[in-house]
Amino acid sequence: MDRDLLRQSLNYHGPSLLSLLRSEQQDNPHFRSLLGSAAEPARGPPPQQQLQGRKEKRVDNIEIQKFISKKADLLFALSWKSDAPATSEVNEDSEDGYAIMPPLEQFMEIPSMDRRELFFRDIERGDIVIGRISSIREFGFFMVLICLGSGIIRDISHLEITALCPLRDVPSHSNHGDPLSYYQTGDIIRAGIKDIDRYHEKLAVSLYSSSLPPHLSGIKLGVISSEELPLYYRRSVELNSNSLESYENIMQSSLGFVNPGVVEFLLGKLGIDESNPPSLMRGLQSKNFSEDDFASALRKKQSASWALKCVKIGVDYFKVGRHVDAMNEYNKALEIDKQNVEALVARGALYATKGSLNKAIEDFELALENCPTHRNARKYLCQTLVERGGQLEEEEKFLNAESYYKKALALDETFKDAEDALQKLHKYMQKSLELREKQAEKEEKQKTKKIETSAEKLRKLLKEEKRLKKKRRKSTSSSSSVSSADESDSSSSSSSSSSHKRHKKHKRNRSESSRSSKKHLAKASSSQIDQNRKDECFPVPTNTLASFLNQKQEVEKLLEKQDRLPYQKKQVKEKDRCPLSSSSVEIPDDFGGRSEDPRDFYTQASSSKTEKPYKSEKHFSSRRDSSDSFYRNSEDKVKTYSYRRFEKDTEGRKEHYRRWEPGSVRHSTSPASSDYSCKSVEKYKKYTYSGSRDFSRHEQRYPLNKNQGEYEIEDNYEEDIKTEVPEADGLNSKGQSESGVKKNLPQNLLNIFNQIAAFEKEKGNKPKK
Amino acid sequence: MEAVGPDTCGGGDAARGAEGWPAPEARVHFRVTRFIMEAGVKLGMQSIPIATACTIYHKFFYEINLDAYDPYLVAMSSLYLAGKVEEQHLRTRDIINVSNRYFHPGSEPLELDSRFWALRDSIVQCELLMLRVLRFQVSFQHPHKYLLHYLISLKNWLNRYCWQRTPISVTAWALLRDSYHGGLCLRFRAQHIAVAVLHLALQAYGVEVPAEAEAEKPWWQVFSDDLTKPIIDNIVSDLIQIYTMDTEIP
Repeated sequence: MDRDLLRQSLNYHGPSLLSLLRSEQQDNPHFRSLLGSAAEPARGPPPQQQLQGRKEKRVDNIEIQKFISKKADLLFALSWKSDAPATSEVNEDSEDGYAIMPPLEQFMEIPSMDRRELFFRDIERGDIVIGRISSIREFGFFMVLICLGSGIIRDISHLEITALCPLRDVPSHSNHGDPLSYYQTGDIIRAGIKDIDRYHEKLAVSLYSSSLPPHLSGIKLGVISSEELPLYYRRSVELNSNSLESYENIMQSSLGFVNPGVVEFLLGKLGIDESNPPSLMRGLQSKNFSEDDFASALRKKQSASWALKCVKIGVDYFKVGRHVDAMNEYNKALEIDKQNVEALVARGALYATKGSLNKAIEDFELALENCPTHRNARKYLCQTLVERGGQLEEEEKFLNAESYYKKALALDETFKDAEDALQKLHKYMQKSLELREKQAEKEEKQKTKKIETSAEKLRKLLKEEKRLKKKRRKSTSSSSSVSSADESDSSSSSSSSSSHKRHKKHKRNRSESSRSSKKHLAKASSSQIDQNRKDECFPVPTNTLASFLNQKQEVEKLLEKQDRLPYQKKQVKEKDRCPLSSSSVEIPDDFGGRSEDPRDFYTQASSSKTEKPYKSEKHFSSRRDSSDSFYRNSEDKVKTYSYRRFEKDTEGRKEHYRRWEPGSVRHSTSPASSDYSCKSVEKYKKYTYSGSRDFSRHEQRYPLNKNQGEYEIEDNYEEDIKTEVPEADGLNSKGQSESGVKKNLPQNLLNIFNQIAAFEKEKGNKPKK
Repeated sequence: MEAVGPDTCGGGDAARGAEGWPAPEARVHFRVTRFIMEAGVKLGMQSIPIATACTIYHKFFYEINLDAYDPYLVAMSSLYLAGKVEEQHLRTRDIINVSNRYFHPGSEPLELDSRFWALRDSIVQCELLMLRVLRFQVSFQHPHKYLLHYLISLKNWLNRYCWQRTPISVTAWALLRDSYHGGLCLRFRAQHIAVAVLHLALQAYGVEVPAEAEAEKPWWQVFSDDLTKPIIDNIVSDLIQIYTMDTEIP
């Protein structure tokens, strides 16, 4: 309760208000104690003298007094006074801010005597005054004030108020001894009030800015031009010349009055807080409003529940394998509620399932940022980080992989997989370092002895192969039949026991890392290149290698077919991740297989047939050789193409895929398809793509279907991933270490020998054609 | 929306006098404008748009009998329309959310189903109706701007410590905002209302304009030439009447 204010009001209104207050605010403890003490002074000196003069004026005042007494608890509350400090009073206000008016007293036509009295009552030290120099003496100069620059705005031009600026308060402007020589009578001077003698009505001013309060210290004191005079003064001069002008007219014609921001500007100037609007209504006390009832809070809540709905729909789509729809729903949810944690986690999970680990990590991280306690987000993020680390490890980006593992560990130091992976990685890095040194030594030896090593032999072979390939490419159609024969030949002949082992190994390698991205194969091959490089220390032409690998895998496939049954039994665990064992026989694995499968499948389907297999193989290898970007670009085409195909196809997607097999054969026999194959290779390429795309779709569906069950019950999912990831990871690293470290030397040698053998076989085949 | 009390009788604004008890209709309007103001605050509206919304509402029911339309729907549309007029655009969704919460405290936000869209449509429809009833004259001169300028002028004439000590501007602002509970905005000029609330604020704290007795022209006359003391008293008493309703209506 603001006692002073209450006293002020009581003094004004007299004892009637006091009694009203007593009856109205009886229940208010603040007032009871206050009014008891306030009763004496309120009744004491002021009422007597005041009431007499005002009584007749106050006839209707009883209504106002009743109002005051009723609202006294609000009116005199300390919190009622806005704490917001009025913005600085620097009188530099531009015309645009608001309508700057001539002083009120000028309109009220208050006698000079009272104005003068009030001026000396209200002027304060530190105020800025503006005046004209009237006389210059040796001890300083006198100036007649014409207006005020800060503090109060008054009309003083006719009051003949003089102020002295002593010599010591005049800064010297030149080397001349007398600073006063700079000033002339009639100069307009801006100065700060230094001393006030209210009784004798004397003022002392200073031209040093130290006389001003800190917030005004930037204002330049001294001589000013008439343009620098405050706007209010200029308006007041105008008013004096035309005293008929009304306050309203001046205000309405002022540019500042029509400023759209005038209300806001003045509210700030007056210290009224619009964000917490004042009201004397009991029901409108904004402090009683609950934050939850505000529009933003309600909207947020509503959006969150709406977004959650979308997420639920998305999860339902996810369960039935409609991933595009699910993604759309998740994105919609995130559009509605950008920070929706559930949507982020769900989308992250979808990304992770799709193999876009980086995107998944982004989503999980954002989710965690918004809700650091979200259990699933944390778990998924850890798992995805480790998975991505595994991928990077395969890409030989060990440092990056390490940082991912470390990130996962930082999130959850109890996360074992990350720890294991990190340890393995460290071990591996150490060993590979040692290995490199050894290899360097070996090379040294080989070089000095100048013995034609197996590596060099291989290089020659590879070069030859490359040359042949080039030739072959030039005359595609003519040599295709031969090559296909060669291919089928090689695939059939390669069922020898010697290559069997190798393939099995390769197979395992592949399936182990099968959970990684689509790029898997490229990575695998590149890592193989790297290995070769280490061993043989010369760059293998990638083109050849790629085609070589293709062949190898083909052979492998056949072998797999043969070995499948025993193999399955042996590796039950792998079965989970390797779709080979399931319905889609020709599909070696889920993501990794995407690029290679169609071809494999294709060649298998029609390996013994005419030119096509070879062609497709050629396309395929060239495709693989080309960069990823090409892949992407072409995929667009493929998409549209395959869609078109879908439209044409009355049967479902699955049928389409199934029918593709015989379809290809059909195409080759039909005249239309011969068009395809002969005239437009490009089109044909598309065909293969569409086939592959179809394929990959089915593949994706397969493993994803599997995952749906996991997502359905979240904890299940977690566990699944948990059990799955470590397996994959363990196997990965095991495979890595197996092939890369422990058996590194013998395996590399074996590899080389195998390759040589394979090439010799191929070479041997060539004469046949 | 909420049912309006049965205490509606014809007669329009004339039934409410400066003296005596307000007509039952005024109580309904009081309640609905209270809703407008509370919703306005919760919607983050500033004083001027809220004032516009209330004025639109009052003006609408000045033309139309209270029985004809649901006043709360009119209120919601007024808010929406005021947002447009004063360029502080509001979304119907927010208006519906806040209103729903007002009528059903503590309830969950509505689902965005067909019922929600129906509500939204009714607001938009009602807005069109109101525009036609008001003949598209929905832009008003509010006392706010005047009041603020008056306050600045007064501040410069008053002793600065007196001004600092006394929350005149806040009180005047609050009084002006609260005045929209009634139809004052339709019956008096903006300048007059501004002066009246300023007068009441000065009275409440017992602040006198310095040298008022010596002045040729009283301060309130300066601000508005055609203003007379009885007009001020009328407005003040109407204003106080509104506040008595505040205590009567829970």
